[in-house]
Amino acid sequence: MANEVVDQGRRRFLTATTAVVGGVGVVAAVVPFIKSWEPSARAKAAGAPVTQSLKKVEPGQQLIVAWRSLPVFIVNRTPTQLAALPAQDPRLVDPTSTGTSADQQPKYAQNGTRSIKPEWLVMVGICTHLGCVPDFVGEMKPEPFDPNWQGGYYCPCHHSRYDMAGRVYQGVPAPKNMVIPPYQYLDDSTIQIGVDAQGAA
Amino acid sequence: MANVFASIADWVNDRAPNLAPTYRKHMTEYYAPKNFNLWYYFGSLALLVLVNQIVTGIFLTMNYDPSAAGAFDSVQYIMRDVEWGWLIRYMHTTGASLFFVVIYLHMFRGIMYGSYKKPRELVWLLGMLIFLVLMAEAFMGYVLPWGNMSFWGAKVIVSLFGTIPVIGKDLVEWIMGDFLPADATLNRFFALHVIALPLVLLLLVVLHLAALHEVGSNNPDGVDIKHGPKGNRWDALKPADGIPFHPYYTVKDLVGVGLFLAIAAFIIFFQPTLGGWFLEHDNSIAANNLVTPAQIKPVWYFTAFYAIVRMIPSALGTAVWGVLGMFGSIALLFALPWIDVGKVKSVRYRGTGYKVALTLFVLAFLGLVMIGTDFTDELFPKLFGADIDMTAWDNAFGRVMTLIYFGFFVFLWLYTHLGWEKTKPVPERVTTHD
Amino acid sequence: MTKRYISTIALALGLLLGTTAVMADEGPELPSAATNIRDTASLQRGAHLFFNYCVGCHSLKYERYERIADDLGLTQADVMNNLNFTDAKFGDPVISHMPADDAQKFFGKAPPDLSLEVSAKGADWVFAYLNSFYLDPKSPIGWNNTILPNAAMPFPLWELQGEQTAVMKAGKPGDDAQIEKLTLSHPGRLTPEQYQQATRDLTNFLEYVSEPAALERRHVGIWVVLFLLGFTFLAYLLKKEYWKDVH
Repeated sequence: MANEVVDQGRRRFLTATTAVVGGVGVVAAVVPFIKSWEPSARAKAAGAPVTQSLKKVEPGQQLIVAWRSLPVFIVNRTPTQLAALPAQDPRLVDPTSTGTSADQQPKYAQNGTRSIKPEWLVMVGICTHLGCVPDFVGEMKPEPFDPNWQGGYYCPCHHSRYDMAGRVYQGVPAPKNMVIPPYQYLDDSTIQIGVDAQGAA
Repeated sequence: MANVFASIADWVNDRAPNLAPTYRKHMTEYYAPKNFNLWYYFGSLALLVLVNQIVTGIFLTMNYDPSAAGAFDSVQYIMRDVEWGWLIRYMHTTGASLFFVVIYLHMFRGIMYGSYKKPRELVWLLGMLIFLVLMAEAFMGYVLPWGNMSFWGAKVIVSLFGTIPVIGKDLVEWIMGDFLPADATLNRFFALHVIALPLVLLLLVVLHLAALHEVGSNNPDGVDIKHGPKGNRWDALKPADGIPFHPYYTVKDLVGVGLFLAIAAFIIFFQPTLGGWFLEHDNSIAANNLVTPAQIKPVWYFTAFYAIVRMIPSALGTAVWGVLGMFGSIALLFALPWIDVGKVKSVRYRGTGYKVALTLFVLAFLGLVMIGTDFTDELFPKLFGADIDMTAWDNAFGRVMTLIYFGFFVFLWLYTHLGWEKTKPVPERVTTHD
Repeated sequence: MTKRYISTIALALGLLLGTTAVMADEGPELPSAATNIRDTASLQRGAHLFFNYCVGCHSLKYERYERIADDLGLTQADVMNNLNFTDAKFGDPVISHMPADDAQKFFGKAPPDLSLEVSAKGADWVFAYLNSFYLDPKSPIGWNNTILPNAAMPFPLWELQGEQTAVMKAGKPGDDAQIEKLTLSHPGRLTPEQYQQATRDLTNFLEYVSEPAALERRHVGIWVVLFLLGFTFLAYLLKKEYWKDVH
């Protein structure tokens, strides 16, 4: 039987040291498991920049391409649709995209048409409310949801409405304008989505 | 800070007054014999590996595709495209083999020190059930990567059930859900492997530990400390030779855990296939229902039992005898508490006949492992010349090993039931060898 | 007595594990390929050989171009200009441009994907295979191989190695003649030593492709093992300290 006095200080020190070192080990072991949730090499490869020709998109038409699995709307806006944009400003939440929607587009698309070239809208087609894909309703005619409809997007999930530049109207659940992805023109009729425009940050 | 912890503890105690006593019963006031040796590490290590298998397994399911078309590709996806996926998979595959290493050593400990004897028969039976479920779990897990060895392993093992007279053929098709291992087979094995059997395993482990803590641990001397003198430095009414599991055995097990993990890490990072023993080369080829691998054999941990199938020839037009032999070899382990009725538990004080028999039993088991892995196909030509008749040698060696395996149980029954055993005096109290 | 009993058992187990470890590699004895996946220059040379001579028929469907660049210390431009002759993107896996149906027609069976060839067959086997092609007038494709007799594969590296022919063992008439050795009957662009090195590089590249994680895991592993040994030592001190109570 051990009758000598226990050295409590040494015992506490060793317990603490072992616990700390063991704890470091556990934390280190957890890291690979957390990292395994990062997008995999396959997801990253699938999320690589997408090149798209604009040649076959007629005025007034929309083309949807997938980039990082997201639907990207590419719209060839007609002069009438473009002309109607400034008139919507009073009805919009953030018409200049400088307020709550300041981070919803690259700097080079922070303008009245939210695009590099006025007629071409390139936009991630995800409603800023809860992530549904809004319907493209390009025609300017009275709609059940808006008698004064000037073309734009209507989200079937919770009835959010956006104009032809993806700018959100007032009085709907969605808070912000839809996202413009980074993109650039490789030549006059080819864009690359996922890469910032040359010369822009 | 201490106050916060104290008040949280009070809050919990008010609502679950049995929690703290339960903890004390199994940890700080579970008095284990103080003379545990090296062999007593394997219980806690088995628990550690079980946790490893569950955690890594959950993360593997996140990227694994349980379909015949996608399973093989998804394993390579895990190995290459998922960040650290290779580590998670190697932890799982190495863990599977080490699970059996640990379990076999744990079982041998139980046999050697008579831990299955009264009053611990229930602990032994529950442990054997764990072993049985673990074998099913391992087999189904082995099928999931859907390599060519997985496929043919599944085919052969399921076909064992086909030897059962009358219902065999229908049973095999029912198990596979097809006429060969296929999508349906993989899907159901996946479901069983990732949820059904792990639940059963966990339940059995809890029962195994509960049953153990009810009767208390055995020890290398096979002396029951509860029958010895009372009074130790922690409690005047508890066995004098008992020490609280926590902290004494928790810190001791921690040493075992550290060493075990170091060995496991060495395998995982430097030898993950262990030369084809833990991960077989032929499983790097996708499942192919038209081409059987050159050497079709189970992973090493099944081979001892599987070899028995090969060593028993068919008779009366059926191959069922080999399969009966295989299941019998496991069933006999279940019956060990009633086969061996010797009063002395530990090998330390048992008769010479028992020591010889146990040694032969271990060697026969290892011999069967060697036969089952086709290891003897390489060993014998090196030892006895290249021109020997391998089949004859294999069969002769394997049948002797099979006879010794079963002979152990027969001998043990005779030896103890007929009172042939001359035991040595068992000490009153546990001895320590420090 | 008991101590001796236990140590005997432990010794037997140790012996068994020892011999199994030594004899773990199966199959007939082949000369060592002597590959080293940490030899980046060798991997780069092997990759060039693969993309010049093999990718016409064989894919590496689990290996991405981007991964090759990362692991072999190459730039995106290196890989896309010098290795990738298809329109595959940088992040795409290496897929041969030969349609599987054509391959089936030309060779009777589709050329296998080589992503896991070394995992399945071993580096020594691949190395020996690449060195064992010989001219065989009886074969429909004109080539045969001593490691994989009647292989459906023509010998794409012949202009490097040259042509080997088989020297038969003298046997009784009527016996199936056995091949004794292969001799170089027509030299190729490389000397035999250069050709061995080239095939070693190619084997090395395929070994890397079989398990790209192998580059990383040894690197991480050394620290993990050292850490765990350190932890074990600490735990041992702690155990010693607590067990002063028990004697």
